[in-house]
Amino acid sequence: MTEVPKIVYDRLRAARPERALPDRALPERAGPERTHPDADLLTAFAEQALAATERDGVLEHLAFCGDCREVIALALPAADIVAAPIATETAVRATPVPAKSERNFLTAFAWPSLRWAALAAGVAVVASVLLVHPGKLNKATLPSVNRQVATTAPPVSAPQIAPSSTDQAAISARTSEARPKSESRLSKKLNAGEAVTPPPRAERGMLLAENKNHSGQADKLSAAPSAGVLFDAPTNPRTTETVEVSGAAAAEEVAPAAEDSLMAWNETPAIEKAKPALQEKEMKVNEQQKTQAAVVPGLARSQARAMMSSAKLASPASPALAHNVTWVIIGGVLQRSVDSGQSWQNVLRTDHPLLCYASHEEDVWAGGQAGTLFHSADGGTTWVQVQPSIKAQQLSSDVTHIDVRGDVRGDERGPAEIAISTSNNGIWSSADGGRTWEKK
Amino acid sequence: MPRPVQPGHGADVAAAFYERSGAAAYGVSTEQFAAILDEILCKYLSQNSAHDSARASAEQKADFCAGLRLEELALARACAAGNERAWQDFIARYRQKLHGMALHITRDGAHAAELADSLFADLYGVNARNGVRSSKLVFYTGRGSLEGWLRTVMAQEFINRYRKQKRTVSLEEQTEEGVQFRAAVPEPACASDRLSQERLEAATDEALAELSSEDRFTLASYYLDGRTLAEIARTLGLHESSVSRRLDRLATGLRKRILAGLRLQGMSHAQAMEALETDVRDIGLNLRSRLTQDSGAKTFPEGKVPAQDAGKGSHD
Repeated sequence: MTEVPKIVYDRLRAARPERALPDRALPERAGPERTHPDADLLTAFAEQALAATERDGVLEHLAFCGDCREVIALALPAADIVAAPIATETAVRATPVPAKSERNFLTAFAWPSLRWAALAAGVAVVASVLLVHPGKLNKATLPSVNRQVATTAPPVSAPQIAPSSTDQAAISARTSEARPKSESRLSKKLNAGEAVTPPPRAERGMLLAENKNHSGQADKLSAAPSAGVLFDAPTNPRTTETVEVSGAAAAEEVAPAAEDSLMAWNETPAIEKAKPALQEKEMKVNEQQKTQAAVVPGLARSQARAMMSSAKLASPASPALAHNVTWVIIGGVLQRSVDSGQSWQNVLRTDHPLLCYASHEEDVWAGGQAGTLFHSADGGTTWVQVQPSIKAQQLSSDVTHIDVRGDVRGDERGPAEIAISTSNNGIWSSADGGRTWEKK
Repeated sequence: MPRPVQPGHGADVAAAFYERSGAAAYGVSTEQFAAILDEILCKYLSQNSAHDSARASAEQKADFCAGLRLEELALARACAAGNERAWQDFIARYRQKLHGMALHITRDGAHAAELADSLFADLYGVNARNGVRSSKLVFYTGRGSLEGWLRTVMAQEFINRYRKQKRTVSLEEQTEEGVQFRAAVPEPACASDRLSQERLEAATDEALAELSSEDRFTLASYYLDGRTLAEIARTLGLHESSVSRRLDRLATGLRKRILAGLRLQGMSHAQAMEALETDVRDIGLNLRSRLTQDSGAKTFPEGKVPAQDAGKGSHD
């Protein structure tokens, strides 16, 4: 901000408020503060509710009276409660501006105006570059954008979700070629206001990826499944099983590179062709992530993203997401949702309130107060109480945390490894699915 | 004593306003509400000679009343009159907000509670005059929102309290604040400096007098009171960028006008620039620096220095 000479501070401070009251526009009050506008007028002024003449009168006073300025400033509502009133300078100015303070016509060409012109020119240049070279820019931005697509992709139908590996390679190879054409096609449809029918998988994926750049259009697309206007494909929960990675071992091998795979999908075709085997795995993981987001159309985008991130963090191939089952403990009762949180059902209520749970595929464990521990091997349909004990010493303290890890040998599912943390800092573990226990 | 609304003149309008205000729910009669409106009309329309209350047409009165917050006015006046239901509504709507406002103003929990409780007591009217409870809500006229009015009244109360406390600061507290070390404002030493200062003040006053009240308010709020652009923008109903641009324009324009004023008083451009850059508060500092330079020049004069003198100087 441009500084003013120090003398201006002094003269502003030295000005007396009495000079500001030449007329009788302001109602006066009895007492020593008779010259100040009353609280009603100050409030109305701050709320832009005064007529022009009265507003001028109050402003005239405020220009000289630091006390009233302070009252006005203190009485401003908190910024987070009431948004700042935004109006154009000309719209708010109810009275004609005095001639002496009118902006000179020449000031329209002063530096502030030129700054805006420079900004507009910059925007025009960027827009023109985007239009002329969309492919290069998209190539640079797609890796990050594609991750968003994984969380916001609309539901897709089953036949499109699991293409063959040869299709995948072909799709990858022609990705960069199809991009500009598909983008222009979609933008035309959006501009024309048509309902867009779902294009083939590769095109749709790229369309979504590319159109994340155009935030408004992308929002329409991502919001479309719930609205049922655009991409109105039916949701099929079984689609998740068709693309499920076959086993935790394979998932552990692929998932750590999931971020890389998302990037690799957008590399040049030559690179992709050089790694067909890896690409196949990566594509499957990518498809799985897309589908996990796609099968929860009712969820908000942030929820879907949170689920995706938790799925990445919790376990490589979270069964709760793969089977669309979500667990939660509310009020000491374990609840399950099989429709991504839209409806919930109580599945386990015990004598002592439950405190924690853990799940791995169909295995679900729930622990609570006073050594309560239950196990379900069928995804929560039936429950068996487990009483951990070592040499006649039974678990009696509260179970505060459960960690369960599947043991996969080849295609066969072995017993789960389970570790329990208790409220007295003890750790109980079992390597055979809860039959025998060790205490650490 | 307010004049009642004349039948046939504004009775229908007053009845419509009465209906709109919902005053009936608080036990305020039509006549009582009309009297309240008349009181407000007298207060505001009679203040402006162009809108004398006696000459103000029914349309003008109706327009004025239509701009009032009638529902909140009825609530406030019913509270002032001691209506139980009105107080219930008031407490439900504003009791919690009062604490929020106080906290926003004082930024301190203990002071906020004290301020809010004090204002609530004033609103309820604990101070009786001639045996009649006097509520502060009777001063609310509905020009702005009741919530905004409460904030303003609270801000006024806060400033009054702050001043009272400031006046009663003990000598020990002043000592702790370092008042005794505060440098006195130096007076201009010589007559030429004093003349230059007077010319500068006159030119600045003239330049400031040419500003519109809104410009001057903006200038004083930003440079004198230290308000933020956002606060000024919200007060004036502008965008922050508009205020920023206006301040830039004002600062540049003021400088030009002051310089032009100084030149009109017979100063050259260089003298005007020097006078503008020199402030009375800086004179002492400038003199000190000048003295330091002078003494340094004497200690280490340019040119050849005799070896003996140089040796003496170094030992001294």
